[in-house]
Amino acid sequence: MRSGYLWLASLAAFPLVGTPLLAHPSFRRFGVACRFVLAAGVGMVLLSGTMTVWALAGWRWGPILLLVSAAVAFALRGLIPKGSDPAPLATQREIGAEGRSTPAIALLCACVSITAALAATLAARSTSPDLLLFWGPKAQQFAAARTIDAGFLSAPYLEYLHVYYPPLVTNVLAFGAMVAGRFPWGAATLTFPLLLAATGVALFGILRTDGSADRAAAASSLILSALALIGIHAAVAGNAEPFLLFFELPAVALLVTPAARSDAGKLLAGLFLAGAGAAKVEGLPFVGAVVLLFVLLDRAASRPLARTAILLLGPTAVSLGVWFAFGASRKVFYGYRGYGRSMEFHWDHFSGVGSAIGSALWKVGYALPFAVPILLLLAIRPGRGRALLPLGVAAALSVFLLLTYLQSADDPRLWIAWSAARTFSPVTALVALATFGAREPR
Amino acid sequence: MRTPLLLSLAGSAVLAGFSVAALPFSRGLFRAPRTPYDASEATFTVPAWILLRRAAEVVPPEASVVVRTEPPDATNDSYLHRFAVALLPGRKIIPAAMWSIPTPPEALSGSDYEIVVGSVPPTPSGRLVLSIPEGTVWKRRP
Repeated sequence: MRSGYLWLASLAAFPLVGTPLLAHPSFRRFGVACRFVLAAGVGMVLLSGTMTVWALAGWRWGPILLLVSAAVAFALRGLIPKGSDPAPLATQREIGAEGRSTPAIALLCACVSITAALAATLAARSTSPDLLLFWGPKAQQFAAARTIDAGFLSAPYLEYLHVYYPPLVTNVLAFGAMVAGRFPWGAATLTFPLLLAATGVALFGILRTDGSADRAAAASSLILSALALIGIHAAVAGNAEPFLLFFELPAVALLVTPAARSDAGKLLAGLFLAGAGAAKVEGLPFVGAVVLLFVLLDRAASRPLARTAILLLGPTAVSLGVWFAFGASRKVFYGYRGYGRSMEFHWDHFSGVGSAIGSALWKVGYALPFAVPILLLLAIRPGRGRALLPLGVAAALSVFLLLTYLQSADDPRLWIAWSAARTFSPVTALVALATFGAREPR
Repeated sequence: MRTPLLLSLAGSAVLAGFSVAALPFSRGLFRAPRTPYDASEATFTVPAWILLRRAAEVVPPEASVVVRTEPPDATNDSYLHRFAVALLPGRKIIPAAMWSIPTPPEALSGSDYEIVVGSVPPTPSGRLVLSIPEGTVWKRRP
């Protein structure tokens, strides 16, 4: 029990690491709570990245990691030029001047959803088998070895550990295990409600900078409610999905708000994209889709192109570059592995894959968390500018997931049955995010 | 309140309601679970979890261990190997089966301990170290 509390207390290290960057005046627009959460996200990315660099160098993990990560966060301030914040103070003061009923109702729905996620986690309703199968064992072993243990990853009989999976989730779990002295399985499941709540705080804080607290609250609440229902049914507690969504959604939110026009906003989005890329394999195509669509859809904000590319893609390139260098130098892995031959798709599985996905989504609250955002989008008809980026990324992710399932030479229906609701959760969250751009009445 | 906001909030409320309805009220929502999988769809892990956590108290570090079910089942044994890697850190776990293919018996005979989930094996392979309703732990060598 004590180790569980210690493990949870260790999470406070992440906002501390990220604070030197988020303390920059350019981020004041987001409000205290949102900046705290964003600092935690930046802290996770930087601390995990530093842990991976240490492992690549063959150094054992220790408290110095915190100082180095925080120093990197401070150094990143150098990339933000003076006057980077384009939001006039007058606009910021107007935020919150609207009625209070919409934010209050949205907050109530969000709180009910987060409480349900917490209750489901505490009642052992939503624990992911993957925690026991590979996330937990890897984190536990890395904490004991004080490094990413290449010997463990390449040991016989342990091929099922998905050794090439990116390192952020195991590093974050292992950091807490080092502090706690052992890996607390129950506490690790609490990352589901905690990250869900953090995602909501981050989304509301970012979206409200676009001028409407009402729309920000409504969109954030819709996303949280959908993700809570999926997470409870699809058993994501202790899995990587809460981490992935925590990084993906604020990154896209930053790029559909005025923050996208500043270097500070792009740097922050780039760091959150790196978090998504380092959390799960599908984070990498997500990063590619976001950056490509952002450049194509918002040409004014993406100028100058080279600097935008560096700010958005640089953190992901460094983070995954170090990871792949570690895998290659230890002869453990040489990139991501697919579930079949690359560019070989079994189109004869298409109808089976389609019906299996439909069946998997139906089992999650009668597919409501997927259907409701789509129906709302059709009813609301959001403004083109803000909706295209999340919708385009959702479409790209859907195609990627479909092709991934079609790569399997074996019948993929069982695999889809236990994974599709989770893997498609970013898609429905992005559709829900697209409702944020609802047209203002004339 | 504008229609788009009203629709969004209504959608949130419906989804939040379904989240509450998905809670395991009939399976002890307000009772501390014995394992992280008690009310999940992976309840088949519960006996193995309980036995392996108890076994961790009697199987010393660096001992070699085989974990299997009784009666034998290669698919379950494949999963038990993975659970043992997670819940018996520091021990050498020898799989009784991998990818649903049983390991040859001679590869298992060298282990220090045998953990059997389920009923007591008809031909015990050593000294009984632990016996609980979820299974037994046997020390094979003196």
